[in-house]
Amino acid sequence: MQLPDAAVALLESASATDAKSIEQLATATDEKPETLTGAAFDLEADSLVALEERVEVSLELTDEGKRYREDGLPEVRLYRAAADAGAADDSVPMGQVIGVSELEGPEVDIALTNFARKGLGFIDSGELSVNADADPDSDAERAALDAIADGDADGLDDDTVDRLVERGLVEQREQTHRFVTLTDDGVTALMEGVETAATVGQLTPELLTSGEWEDVEFAEYNVEADAEPVTGGKTHILRQTAESVKDTLVGMGFQEMQGPHADADFWINDALFMPQDHPARTHWDRFTLDTDLMTDLPDDLVGRVEDAHRNGVGPDGEGYHSPWSREFAEEVALRGHTTSLSMRYLSGEEIGDLEPPQRFFSVEKVYRNDTLDATHLLEFFQIEGWVMAEDLSVRDLMGTFEEFYAQFGITDIEFKPHYNPYTEPSFELFGTHPTTGKIVEIGNSGIFREEVLSPLGVECDVMAWGLALERLLMLMYGFEDIRDVHGTLCDLDLLRNVEVLA
Amino acid sequence: MPVVEIDPDELRELAGHDKPDEELKADLFGLGLEFEGETEDGTFQLEFAPDRLDRLSVEGVARSLRYQYGDVRGVYVPSTNDAEWRVEVEDVPEERPYVTAAVVRGVDMTEGKLESLIQLQEKLHATMGRKRAKGAIGVHDLAMVKGGAFDGDDRGKTITYTGIDPDGDSFVPLDADTEMTPADVLEDHPVGEKFADLVADYETYPAIYDDIGLFSFPPVINGKRTEVDEGSRDLLVEMTGTDQWTIDRMLAIVCYALDARGGRIEEVDIAYPDRETVRPDLETRTKSVAHDCIESTLGIDLEVEETIDLFERSGLGVEHDDGSYEVEIPPYRTDVLHPMDLVDDVGRAYGFNDLEPRYPDVSTVGGRHDRSKLERAARETLVGLGFEDLLNFHMISERENYERMGIDPESDTFGSGTPVRIEGPYSEDYTMLRTWALPSLAMVLENNTHRAYPQDIAEVGFAAARDDAESGGVTERRTVAGALARPDSSYEDVKARLQTIARNFGAELETPATTHPSFIDGRAASVVIDEETVGVVGELHPRVLVEHDLEVPVAAFEFDLAALR
Repeated sequence: MQLPDAAVALLESASATDAKSIEQLATATDEKPETLTGAAFDLEADSLVALEERVEVSLELTDEGKRYREDGLPEVRLYRAAADAGAADDSVPMGQVIGVSELEGPEVDIALTNFARKGLGFIDSGELSVNADADPDSDAERAALDAIADGDADGLDDDTVDRLVERGLVEQREQTHRFVTLTDDGVTALMEGVETAATVGQLTPELLTSGEWEDVEFAEYNVEADAEPVTGGKTHILRQTAESVKDTLVGMGFQEMQGPHADADFWINDALFMPQDHPARTHWDRFTLDTDLMTDLPDDLVGRVEDAHRNGVGPDGEGYHSPWSREFAEEVALRGHTTSLSMRYLSGEEIGDLEPPQRFFSVEKVYRNDTLDATHLLEFFQIEGWVMAEDLSVRDLMGTFEEFYAQFGITDIEFKPHYNPYTEPSFELFGTHPTTGKIVEIGNSGIFREEVLSPLGVECDVMAWGLALERLLMLMYGFEDIRDVHGTLCDLDLLRNVEVLA
Repeated sequence: MPVVEIDPDELRELAGHDKPDEELKADLFGLGLEFEGETEDGTFQLEFAPDRLDRLSVEGVARSLRYQYGDVRGVYVPSTNDAEWRVEVEDVPEERPYVTAAVVRGVDMTEGKLESLIQLQEKLHATMGRKRAKGAIGVHDLAMVKGGAFDGDDRGKTITYTGIDPDGDSFVPLDADTEMTPADVLEDHPVGEKFADLVADYETYPAIYDDIGLFSFPPVINGKRTEVDEGSRDLLVEMTGTDQWTIDRMLAIVCYALDARGGRIEEVDIAYPDRETVRPDLETRTKSVAHDCIESTLGIDLEVEETIDLFERSGLGVEHDDGSYEVEIPPYRTDVLHPMDLVDDVGRAYGFNDLEPRYPDVSTVGGRHDRSKLERAARETLVGLGFEDLLNFHMISERENYERMGIDPESDTFGSGTPVRIEGPYSEDYTMLRTWALPSLAMVLENNTHRAYPQDIAEVGFAAARDDAESGGVTERRTVAGALARPDSSYEDVKARLQTIARNFGAELETPATTHPSFIDGRAASVVIDEETVGVVGELHPRVLVEHDLEVPVAAFEFDLAALR
């Protein structure tokens, strides 16, 4: 049989006939009493030993008791001082005696009280006299103090002990003593032989390679206690949302687009049939850059776009009555939407001409010179997607977006007819918030106008939609202030503690 | 989006239906006018998309409702009386050559009508008029205008649109009590100050005269003499602008609104030096729409009769012939540029939300962009190494990007480079595109000194700088930056992570010693990947740490993402 160190030692030192206390065993085995107690309980559970508990009352001197044992009881010291002062013959003024006795503070009162109680003398009208017959040397309390200090209190008179306890010179302590006796099983086990199995705190490579792990007991941990916090790395929550959107769209057959953040106004606005004097194209709303013009725009395309602006497209088409200049189209600005990427891809400039059917998307940053507050950022992510196919209808658009939003738990989509310069028909999308149940705006969509597609050389239908990623995140997580998440004012604790997107 | 204010009682009266508020709001939503709130006196505030400019006043909204309710159908064009008045155009400022006008009689102005007219005028200015630059409206009390005579006409009802010197004449403008020259108005009148930019570069200023003298200074302000108020009966509406079509459409919208108030439209002759025209232009246009196109756009089958009904309930005239509709469009419809805009009207009248969504039966293969895959792989590697992934703004200030990091824009150390500056920035915190990402990470550390360490943070993000070799002058790159902020962080720690990243991407990493002002000398190295210098790694200089109020050492790196490809 293999048992831990302490258990083996305990078994070997215990007796089948003579109950031994843990303290005795501790002395015998050189183990700590608490270790042996634990081992004894374990062995009792295995029926190898019997445990018996006895409560013992022991007496111990308090600090005050120890001091009086050293210096003498105050009343005895008072007696001796009074005797020296001649109080055996005649009464002596109390103050004089106390001065000689060197008693101080509360000791004076203690001395006076017990002096009278024990009949060591008399106190009257501030005068003190001693009883010549008294024998302070044989003071029972004093003797008891000595006996208790020597651990030999068995024969003491109960009254004396009670008195000392009352005076606060002695303390009574109850102590539970456990006594161990070998059981028959224990004797048998011993006779069959027990070996030591060590307990270990840490499983080490040595234990594993040597095979010692088979013979060790593992020290038990407090497995319920909290551990030190660890902050592992985590993908940014907005990035997780972006990844989730990308996964969804790739799963729905969409290819990803990327492209310039700083782009010509041509791609950002002109190609989208946004008139050059459109209010959104004033410098108040967009971030223009102090750079050069983008002069290498494809000339044919620029010409067709200009023509669409001036004259419209098709036999019944009309153009805008707005100024148009190539230089404005070549100005470089931060894109206000990623529809600039859609224009680049649809034009064939990015990856060559596209044949229907196609699905494309991007989840990329856009820049708006708007207000910066809890729900608006100067730069945010736009989800942009489009489907190119022959004969797309509004119903296809609705079906596609219902499918997409359903992936994020947003259902009951409503389509509010809307106006965009670049799509017709156009719809604002509204959906029911998954937790609050409120109707919220979740995107903008439509079928690209012929004035957009025809100059790009696209001869089939293209339906498109856009949505702010941050809006989706806030809907899904209920964040109150988007600035806590996105940007250099972010709160690391929020990022560390936010739930991952599952 | 713009907001238009509508008195619901007036709307009920003009629309001819006494509907309760909630029903009215639902009907308005159907028109695309979303209820935003109401003022203290119960006026509805409706948000609208800026296509149907004819709905910028209660009269136009009421007309649309009447079409929606089916009370009226087809195109309506107000009848007009022959011209008595005439506008002579001579020596006008070349920047603002166009004028249009109408007389409207019998309006009998009330407080409600006047408020509505003023709102319509303001909203048209804000939208089509491009803040008065493209078109500006002046409405006058006709009784206060004294026409003059001209050769061959004895009616004596000619006014003149012309150009004058800034100090060439004077008049008493609205909201003033003294005579002012146009130059004075721009200088001293609150309205003049607001619109001074519009004419600042003009050699001569636009001016309208009658027989008495100067009475309007478009596009800035009218004269007090001809001010319209309650009790004004007949109106002169004139508009000047940079485009004839635009001001004619604006005038049409105003005429329809006044017609709805019982006004009688009267034409005005406009005499340009080289041609004579008659205004207002209330001509309708036609476009043809194929039945097929409607069916394929809406994704449903429609009967011809039903389609005609839908057109007519949209306020359009329609003739059907051989699978095609000849659609007549009223002059207030500025948004119709293409037959598809008419298909949209049919869809709205049908009710888009009554269409059954269907998932398009189109098969395509999805996939990620190559750079997007690379970004994701780099980000996953960093997160695996224990970095907190960050997402910072691409816009930054020059102080943060260069100064606080201790680098000089014009040097050739990593992170320097000429900034791409933003013109008219939102605030001084966002004046340029960041040339590197470490400044953003330093800012995040600075803003999180109250949070537990270690703070291991990283970002795979965007940076840009000027590059004259690029068309457009901007070079953009994706960058990988990481920082270890912890009491015992060292070069060794950050180099170890850099090595792991390089190994994950099969890239050969070397780190020859370099000097970089953001890093401690002797503890900085260039990041050389596959024999090309693409970044920097080291322990941030105490100067940079103290500048960012950091009390722990920071070891950091940054390099081009493209190097991992």
